[in-house]
Amino acid sequence: MIPVTNTPAPGTQHPRRAAQIWTIARIELRRAFLSKRAFWVYGLALLPSLIFLGHGIEAKVRRERLSARSVIPPELLDGTREGESVEAVLNRLGTPARDDQWSSRRRIRAAGGTTNITSHAIEPAADARFVRLNIIRPTYVGDQTARIYEFEVYGADRPDNLALMRPAAGSAPCHPDQGPEKAFNGSDSGGKSDRWCTHQWDAFLQVDLGAVFEVRRFVVRHAGAGGESEDLDTREFNIQVSRDGKTFSTVVRESGARFVDERTSHRMLVYFDGRRVGNLVFDNGVLASRGIRPLLDFAEDRQIFAGVFQYFYLRLAIFFGCLGIFMNLFRGEMLDRTLHFWFLVPARREILLAGKYGAGLIASTAIFAGGALLCFAVMMWPQDPVELQVYWQGAGMAHAFWYTVAAALGCIGYGSVFLAAGLLLRNPIIPAALLLAWESINGFLPEILQKLSILYYLQSLCPVPAPMEKDAPAIIQLLLLPAAPASRLGAVLGLLGVTALVLWVACIAIRRMQVSYTAE
Amino acid sequence: MSVPAVVFDEVSKFYGEVLGVNRVTLNIPPGITALVGPNGSGKTTLMNLMTGLIHPDHGSIRMRGISPRDPEHLMRITGYATQYDSAPRWATGFSFVTTGLLLFGYGRAEAEEKAWKALERLSLTEAAHRKVAAYSKGMRQRVRLAQATAHDPELLVLDEPLNGLDPLVRAETIALFRTWAAEGRHVILSSHVLQEVDVLSDQVILIANGMVVAEGEIRNVREEIHEHPSQFIIRCRDASRVASLLFGEDHVTEIKLNDDQSGLLVMTRNRERFSRALSRIALNGHGIDGVIPADENVDALYEYLISGK
Repeated sequence: MIPVTNTPAPGTQHPRRAAQIWTIARIELRRAFLSKRAFWVYGLALLPSLIFLGHGIEAKVRRERLSARSVIPPELLDGTREGESVEAVLNRLGTPARDDQWSSRRRIRAAGGTTNITSHAIEPAADARFVRLNIIRPTYVGDQTARIYEFEVYGADRPDNLALMRPAAGSAPCHPDQGPEKAFNGSDSGGKSDRWCTHQWDAFLQVDLGAVFEVRRFVVRHAGAGGESEDLDTREFNIQVSRDGKTFSTVVRESGARFVDERTSHRMLVYFDGRRVGNLVFDNGVLASRGIRPLLDFAEDRQIFAGVFQYFYLRLAIFFGCLGIFMNLFRGEMLDRTLHFWFLVPARREILLAGKYGAGLIASTAIFAGGALLCFAVMMWPQDPVELQVYWQGAGMAHAFWYTVAAALGCIGYGSVFLAAGLLLRNPIIPAALLLAWESINGFLPEILQKLSILYYLQSLCPVPAPMEKDAPAIIQLLLLPAAPASRLGAVLGLLGVTALVLWVACIAIRRMQVSYTAE
Repeated sequence: MSVPAVVFDEVSKFYGEVLGVNRVTLNIPPGITALVGPNGSGKTTLMNLMTGLIHPDHGSIRMRGISPRDPEHLMRITGYATQYDSAPRWATGFSFVTTGLLLFGYGRAEAEEKAWKALERLSLTEAAHRKVAAYSKGMRQRVRLAQATAHDPELLVLDEPLNGLDPLVRAETIALFRTWAAEGRHVILSSHVLQEVDVLSDQVILIANGMVVAEGEIRNVREEIHEHPSQFIIRCRDASRVASLLFGEDHVTEIKLNDDQSGLLVMTRNRERFSRALSRIALNGHGIDGVIPADENVDALYEYLISGK
């Protein structure tokens, strides 16, 4: 037997580690780019581009349509003034690109109508001991609850309310403290408990005056008198009187005639000056409002892009995209039961980690930095060429650069975290949820802890601040706005530092990792 | 120059509460070594420990002087055909073997040439460009073997390597193992086909319940088993006369005569005295045609040491 020493097999050269990393990365790129799991990552990366593409196509089509109809000089559009008649505008500006007409109606109280309190005189006066109010349509809206705050009865020769504090009856109240007696207590200012209210059909309210009186006038205080919406005032009712409480005769019939519909005719003329669209709205033939704005607002679109990039791209697309790509690099091998293939090659485990991380990084950066640039290009595609030229001569190139850098660094940072998580944990949901929570509460954390967040650095790199509604709730503002933006150099170095720390942990984990498929 | 060995020193491995192997101490010289034991005895655990797929909880391992925690150096001289049946999804038979070789540092042309040779050796050239995932069980076994052997390793670890091989390939593979063993390489294999192990291996390691029951050359191991008498088959012309002479020896415990009176099975507690007694009988003119040990094989060892018969 010839003893054999531990020498490399003939013909092999000791492979350089960089070459091994590249060989591993090249193999893994297939998994990162072409696995079934990768396709939803493409979806995430391309979604903003598709939205901006739709927006751009819509703007282009609209421009074509408006241009085909009429284009007016800009000064004519600027020369319009509120108060002008439609005829004057048409004479001066000519045929519009669009001419829409419509009318609107709104319910208003009839002139002279008493607000919320109706008074009903009868002629001739009637003799009555019992007076009954029958509700036919309880409100002006769909609400079927009748509400009367006070029902007053006045005689022919007496100024005082004959019904005040008299025994009352009526339909079952909707609440025990809102019985019929509340409509005769002389008050309408005590809120809801100072009214009579009923859901019952048919609703009636009756008072016994104690003796037969000659009555001449009734006053009804409706929901609006008690502080409720006037839409809840009684819309249709009648008043009946009786001497004996058995035979009633109707003396008042009231309907919603106290409200009338006010009709306004509107006309909107749309003019286009080649860049801006002017929407001139006329009410009853008079120019009431003029909205002139660019067909495409480049500044606004850039703001929208900034918002989409920070709120969707960085926080969701890159986050979940990296989760899908990087967690899969080792977890996927475990689930496929193929990890041993990699552990049996003559390479340090760290080399394997570097190769796989490199593959994930190439794939995710190509997908997301490429996706961000594509979205940026699509956003600019339909814009005015002059504005674009100005933008490119100014900050445009720097913006494109920093968006790309932020996307790439996002992949570097989130990639390292999810790679390490894939080595340390079995369930990807847990690290994803924890990291998302950590990133979200970043604004609440002490400054030192803020620096352990990927998003902290990424937001600092974004060239345009994301738009935020001033009246957005404070909690939303805290969650979405960067805590304390770092300088760009600080952000890049900080993020690379965090990444190095995470990768160091990943190296320790992979050195200790064992192949145990049965535990999966 | 010392012969490089595979050395386990008090190695234990637990899977949580479950014992994998316990206090295993081994010194495996080059040659073909078979790991023999029932299912779950710890054979695959030992192999995974040798190749660094798992790490011991206690003890240390040196594979021809290299720690399994150093795959960069260990795997350059090692090939391991595992029992894990899956291959990466992207892999065809050819790319599976070639990729491994590229990571060894071979140039592409050389890697492809070696991969092709390995596949040829295992009769896989026709299926070389098909996805491994579409291979039959036997083909997957062969491609794993091809990958483990493509780089001519000095240390070959093979988990049930001959499963699924057709007789011709099996014979060629066994011949290859023998050649490598003769060159001073390690071929460590596990098999549950005891006859195969018997024919193939220079030494055996018997494992039961995570512990090494015996290790060494089969004959030496057999000699260490005192509680079971050694069995010999004697071929002779006058079997009953030879039997009566042997009955006079106090170390002989049992004799069974063949029906045709041309042979007998002798059980003895002392192999040396039996040998001397047989020599005397032959010298006295009783024709002895041949003597064959009947239980110097893995089957018998397995039966005595593991099955407990």
